[in-house]
Amino acid sequence: MSLHFSGNRALILGGTCELALTLAHSMIESDLFPLLTYRDDKGLNAIREALRPFHEKYETCYLNFGDRDSLDSIFTQIGDDLNFLVDFAQGNYESLIAGADEDRVYSYFMENISFRAEILKRVGRAMLKKRKGRLVFISSAAAARPNPGQGFYAAAKLASEALYRNMGLELGERGVTTVVLRPGYIEAGRGRIYLQKQDWNILEMVPIKRAITGEEIAQTILFLLSDSAAGINATEISMDGGLTSGK
Amino acid sequence: MDVFAELKKILVELLDLEDREITPETLLIQDLGAESIDLLELAVTINSRFRITVKDDEIFLTRFRLYSTEAQQQGKDTVHYIGGKYPFLGEERIAEIMAHIKEGPQLKIKDLISYVTYWSQGV
Repeated sequence: MSLHFSGNRALILGGTCELALTLAHSMIESDLFPLLTYRDDKGLNAIREALRPFHEKYETCYLNFGDRDSLDSIFTQIGDDLNFLVDFAQGNYESLIAGADEDRVYSYFMENISFRAEILKRVGRAMLKKRKGRLVFISSAAAARPNPGQGFYAAAKLASEALYRNMGLELGERGVTTVVLRPGYIEAGRGRIYLQKQDWNILEMVPIKRAITGEEIAQTILFLLSDSAAGINATEISMDGGLTSGK
Repeated sequence: MDVFAELKKILVELLDLEDREITPETLLIQDLGAESIDLLELAVTINSRFRITVKDDEIFLTRFRLYSTEAQQQGKDTVHYIGGKYPFLGEERIAEIMAHIKEGPQLKIKDLISYVTYWSQGV
């Protein structure tokens, strides 16, 4: 199936993770222009390394979640010319609720929810000017089925999902739509590290008996960004091999 | 730039108002039927056409009633208190809004003109 896209400039938040880099690769091959965010030199180098063959077919921009000046500088750099947003950004804070450090809880929610709401406001307004825009939030199966210790992560994901869902409800009639993708066990990035720790045995619980690959996620996101998926708005899609459907 | 003429053009475009008469006295919500999504789009368009930062709560007088109540609770002069919150509105206009506030949202085109003119001057 050939995919058609309305526009080509795509801001990728959390642009240094393995999934984001896989997606950027696929985007460039589909003539989209990714703008990948990084928050330190290590991340910037990871982007440059992964996309070395694609000089001038992508851009990088500094964004540190929680740092509002860095958000201003992004819009100074890219202006309002934005067609797509793919949001991988997510800090990790694992702790039992009753054992949590209060200061970390406040800053974690500020960075992962309040700051994201500000990004959505800025991006939404930029897209509203064109009356066109598509936003994809990469959530997690853990939003629906967290393990002990993942309460804050799940809370931040669910709150962010709600922000994206409402954005699609509010701006859908003006051509700006949203969708949330909830991957399950992934053979990439943090997901791979987790699976290695579990010695891969946990995949026995997944009906398809395997992890989802980064390439599968990237291709699905491309589809969700395409005109073919425009009717999928303000909703969540699970991509977990059936994990969260059974018990 | 003629702020009123430009605002009129924007409103005709956004609200599809080809044949409607629009004057500075026109009420945005009651006369033109603008809804919250229209106001959001209006704020975004004003930001882009006039190149000023638009704070939605300010330009649309969203907290007018709340400020009025706050002033009364704190025993302060209402017109003066609201003037501090909305520096682009004159005291005469604030008093006028107060007089009609029970009739529904009082946001008029002339309030948008005041906002744009005030912030365009780089105050």
